[in-house]
Amino acid sequence: MDNDNDLSFGLSDEEPISAQKVLKTLEEVWLNEKLSPELLKHQTEVVDCMLDQVQQMEENVSKLRKNDFRVVVHRMELERIRYIVASYLRTRLDKIEMFTNKILDDEDKREPEEKYLSPKEFKFAREYSSLMESHLQALALKHMPTYVQKFDKSKMSIVPNISSHVFLRAKRNITGIIIEGDNETGDEEIDLEENSQHIIQYKCIDRYLKAETVQLI
Amino acid sequence: MDPTEVEFIAENKMVSIVPNFTFDRIFLISGEVGPFRAGLPVKIPIWMALNLRQRQKCRIMAPDWMDPEKLEEIKEEESQSRYFTKMPSEHYMVEGFLLLDAAAEDIPRSDEIRTIIKDIWDIRMSKLRSSIDAFVKSGGSHAKLDHLTALEINSIRPLLPHALDELHRLENALRIL
Repeated sequence: MDNDNDLSFGLSDEEPISAQKVLKTLEEVWLNEKLSPELLKHQTEVVDCMLDQVQQMEENVSKLRKNDFRVVVHRMELERIRYIVASYLRTRLDKIEMFTNKILDDEDKREPEEKYLSPKEFKFAREYSSLMESHLQALALKHMPTYVQKFDKSKMSIVPNISSHVFLRAKRNITGIIIEGDNETGDEEIDLEENSQHIIQYKCIDRYLKAETVQLI
Repeated sequence: MDPTEVEFIAENKMVSIVPNFTFDRIFLISGEVGPFRAGLPVKIPIWMALNLRQRQKCRIMAPDWMDPEKLEEIKEEESQSRYFTKMPSEHYMVEGFLLLDAAAEDIPRSDEIRTIIKDIWDIRMSKLRSSIDAFVKSGGSHAKLDHLTALEINSIRPLLPHALDELHRLENALRIL
C-alpha cells in the first residue's frame, strides 16, 4: 500500500535517487529560480520525477478507506509539493515573458545539451515573441509613417540585471571571487567559507550557482 | 519573497509530538514518520503537527531551545555581542509563533517565551538596521551575514538589494561620465 521510496530513476551511472532527495533538490531549485535575476537552466528531470511521485502517491491514497487519517496527511503533502512545482514553473514563465528576446537569442547560441529552456518552454517563448510582435505591428506600427515602422527587437528587449545583488549561502569553501570595484576602489578578491551567508552581486557568483556550490536564500 | 513562503519553508522542520493514537509508520514522499504509539513522543514535520493538533490528535512538545531560561541567555548574548549570534534554530521566529499559536496550552510558560522571542527579534532587527546603515554609508558592495535567519533576511528584501543595485547603477553612470 505505502509506496517504496526508492526509485529506479537515476542519472546515468549514479545510484538510484530517493524521492526524499528529489524533493530536497526541487526545493533548492525552486528557491534559486525565485531569487535569481536571470533564467536558470531548466530542471525538467527533477520536476517530472516529482510529478510522477505525486501521481503514484495519489493512486495509492485513493485506494485507502476514506476515514483513514493518512488520507489527510498525504493529501496535505501532495498539495505542498504541487505548490512548489507550480510556483517554480510560474516563476520561469514570468521570466520568459519579461526577457523573451534575450532568452531566445542566448538559447540559439547554446548546444542542444546545454539548453536552458525545456522544449515546451521554448515553444511558448517563440509563440509569445511572435504574438507580441504581430500585436504591436497591428496595434501601432501599421499606423505610423513608413520610415519608423522598422521594429528593432534587440533595442526593445528587456535584459535581466545581472549586477543585481543576491543573498546566498556557500555550500563549500570557495576562494578567489573577484568583485569589480568602481573608480576609487580597485577590484576586490574574497573567499567564501562553507555555510557562510553573504550578499553579493549576482554576476560575481553566477557560475558557482550553476555549478551548485552556492545556494540563494 | 513573501513571509508566508518563508513560513512554508520553515514548516518542513521537525518537531516532537505526543500522539494520543496508535498507528504504523507513514511513508511520505519527504521521508517516513512514525510509528505512532499513544503517549510516546515521535518526530514529525511542523505542518503535519499543526494539522494533527488542530484535530486534537496529539500534544506538541516544545523544542529544547524553547525554554525561558535558555532564551534569556540567548537574549543576553545577543545584546552583548556586536555581531549576530547563532540562533538555536534557523527559523526560531516562525517556529516560535506557529507552535505557540497552535499549542499554547501544551507548552509551559508560553507567554514568557513569546515575549522573550519577540525581544530577541527586536534586538536583532535593530542591530540589522544599524549595520545596514553603516554598510551602505561605507559604500561596500559585498557583506557577510552569518547567523541571520531566513525571515530576517527576507525582511530587508527588497530594500537592501535594490538600494545596492541603485548605488551601483549611479556609480557606473559616473564612471561613464
